[in-house]
Amino acid sequence: MKRRTFLKGGLAAGLVVALPACSLIPVTPKRPQPTAEAAMGWVSCADGQYQLILPRIEIGQNIATAIKQIACEELGIEWDELSLDFHSTATIDQVKSTVGSESIKDFAVPLAQACATLRDAIAAGRSTGEIGLVERPLSDLRIFAAAPRYIGRRPPLEQGQDIVRGQSLYAADIRRENMIYGRVLRAPVSPELPSQPVRWDMDAARAVPGFVDIVDDPSLKQAQSKGLGILAKTPSTLDRIADALNVQWDIDGTFEQHDIDNAVDIERRLNSGRLANTIQSDSIEDDSRWDVDLRFDIPLGAHGPIEPRAAVAEFDQSGALTVWAGVQDVFFVRDTIARALSLDSRDVDVKSRRVGGAFGGKTMCTVELEAALLARAAGHPVKVQWTRAQEYRQGFHRPPSSHRIRATLKEDRLDSWWHGFASSHILFSNAVLPEWMQQITDFIGDPGVARGADMPYRAKNRRTEFDLVRIPVFTGPWRGLGAGPNMLAIESAIDECAIKTNADPVAFRRSHIEDPRLADVLNSVAEISNWQGAKPTEDTPTYQGRGVACGIYKETSYAAVVADVSISRDGNIQVTHLWCAHDCGHIINPDQVRAQCEGNLVWGLGMVLSDQLPVENARVAAETFADAPIPRLEDVSPMTIELISNRLPPTGAGETAIVAASGAIANAVRNATGVRPTRFPIDPKELVRSQA
Amino acid sequence: MKLRINGELREICAAWRDEPLLFVLREHLGLVGTKFGCGVGICGACTVIIDGIAQRSCITATEDVTASEIRTIEGLADNNGNLHPVQQAWLDEAVPQCGYCQAGQIMAAAALLATNPQPSDQDIDDAMSDNLCRCGTYQRIRKAIKRASEAAT
Repeated sequence: MKRRTFLKGGLAAGLVVALPACSLIPVTPKRPQPTAEAAMGWVSCADGQYQLILPRIEIGQNIATAIKQIACEELGIEWDELSLDFHSTATIDQVKSTVGSESIKDFAVPLAQACATLRDAIAAGRSTGEIGLVERPLSDLRIFAAAPRYIGRRPPLEQGQDIVRGQSLYAADIRRENMIYGRVLRAPVSPELPSQPVRWDMDAARAVPGFVDIVDDPSLKQAQSKGLGILAKTPSTLDRIADALNVQWDIDGTFEQHDIDNAVDIERRLNSGRLANTIQSDSIEDDSRWDVDLRFDIPLGAHGPIEPRAAVAEFDQSGALTVWAGVQDVFFVRDTIARALSLDSRDVDVKSRRVGGAFGGKTMCTVELEAALLARAAGHPVKVQWTRAQEYRQGFHRPPSSHRIRATLKEDRLDSWWHGFASSHILFSNAVLPEWMQQITDFIGDPGVARGADMPYRAKNRRTEFDLVRIPVFTGPWRGLGAGPNMLAIESAIDECAIKTNADPVAFRRSHIEDPRLADVLNSVAEISNWQGAKPTEDTPTYQGRGVACGIYKETSYAAVVADVSISRDGNIQVTHLWCAHDCGHIINPDQVRAQCEGNLVWGLGMVLSDQLPVENARVAAETFADAPIPRLEDVSPMTIELISNRLPPTGAGETAIVAASGAIANAVRNATGVRPTRFPIDPKELVRSQA
Repeated sequence: MKLRINGELREICAAWRDEPLLFVLREHLGLVGTKFGCGVGICGACTVIIDGIAQRSCITATEDVTASEIRTIEGLADNNGNLHPVQQAWLDEAVPQCGYCQAGQIMAAAALLATNPQPSDQDIDDAMSDNLCRCGTYQRIRKAIKRASEAAT
């Protein structure tokens, strides 16, 4: 056998974090900032073949491709000389969740430093052993060189061949010997309400062909929902067992849609006193004569990934557990499972699989824990994939929010701006934190809810404040967090200010923008869309309109969007073209940044035209895509994307354009019809009524 | 019970005969390219081609297709592994983001082009609007179908 030579960076000394002994405190995700030292543990070389362990989760940004571009550039190697593996909790030191469009912003430079170190070590004749990091100035990194080989190009998508050939990539694609199928039945109410199974027909269940077992384990608890596990030899046998069992549930409490609406109703919050959290703090007289005074309501919304979450769990003979998971943080899953099953975290290996759409929704540990508990009870590997109805009922969602924006104008300029809003939680989600812990976090606010609410336009006085409200439906991160809804409200109100002053909406924004990079994307989108003012076209069977919006994401990325819409006399809105200008600094893969812009534009369209989740009988009432529609191909217009090219540090593209997409479409509807959309998604009937 | 899948006759064990075609493909036979998305035939992630027509395998009873020709994403490339023009166009346009819906999209597109080699924009909208993609890759799906259509002519 050929002796393997192996050259690898030394693993960074792992920070050992002891979990608190008190099990009342939930496991929370840890977020170590990536360093070049840590990156030395991601890359290695053996026998001339390079290996990179992807320190991120592939959730659809094709980040594996971009990260491979960075590594190949810095290593100075051919594309095929580098093999890329997804990480598991056993193969690399802990990395933070794949959230917040951080994978290029925070990981590009550390990875490049590690790869440059490895390249130099090999050039110096090293071929075995561990090497120490030699950090260099950024200007010496090849990823910032003037004539790069991979950066700025469009290599084949990593796993592209596997996707179009239908190879095994996702958690649910895992098949193990003697594997059976599991599901945890829960009361048909929000897991926020205490509920438990009290009676079930065991004999009827046993009579179902393919029945394996029932698992009545107190650990099968999600928040306040105590579940009953079922196991079967085939997947659809689970449905037949569930029917036969006819479980009777004990449920404590109830709520309806109006309870959710009332909880976040901004008028109620304002009437009951000052809002608790302040983002912009200028003092404003609340008896001002407002030139613009608008209320916006944005409801619960689903992530709607096409992949319902899934996991496969398998114990080996020594009692060690392997879990294949499609989540945004396998370390959080590992820690949660280790705690719940009283396992040493070293005996739990969670392997990351390609995720079939996450959008912030696959950040908690749910189906993975269910699979692990069922596998332990069964003595077999168990696959669990949630049904679509479980996704809606037991997952968390975009929080509902209610906004009031008041503005005064003076000499055609914005004078005072007062934005108050109420929302349920995002980062300090009720899906993870019990009420008492959430109340503690309320003292520091919720930065996820605040995201994007710091109005980017000049005004003499700016006041932005919000209330956090716990509601009985789980809410949490949803693409862009608060930025999507907050910017939809802000850009709608700014548009109204421009209309009040008879100003061109682009010119009005331009004259109030503080950040030159925001001005650049706005100017760029005006140019590519041939902006000549937002004038509705008359004398056609449809109303035609054009709108613009722009915004900043996480203080680092910039987008501006122009939308054209065509609206039938019965209120049916068709977006006919979208233009987007986008600045995320130095671009690694322009084609995939464009792809992210396109996706975000479709999300913006969904925010305005379809995203909502009805609540009924103490739960999210949606059970299929028919109840919570997402944009379809025929809804989506041609899109034109312009990327601003510069050498500024790379930022994020995964959620940026969403800050401007929905506002531009809403403003186009206003332009076409004269009606300011204030309740989303827009109800065509309401639109027609308002016009009359 | 036997099914003819991608040109091969496959034996279906008794325990799996009551499963919908989707689970027979994925879990019994290991053809995992076809995806579970909604289970009620709305999203299209489970699309396969049955006797030339794009069908939802999640709501197709296995016993109903024993006399049919079933084609899945794994059987779309030719016997030498060369990609079908639709698969190649999907790569050329870099369509996939998360990729989960794409097998269904590709099968729907392949079925469209088999019967309508030069579809109009409206034909594409009509044939593809019941295949959902949450990442929003629709613009590229349109372009890839156009590209595959041109490649075939």
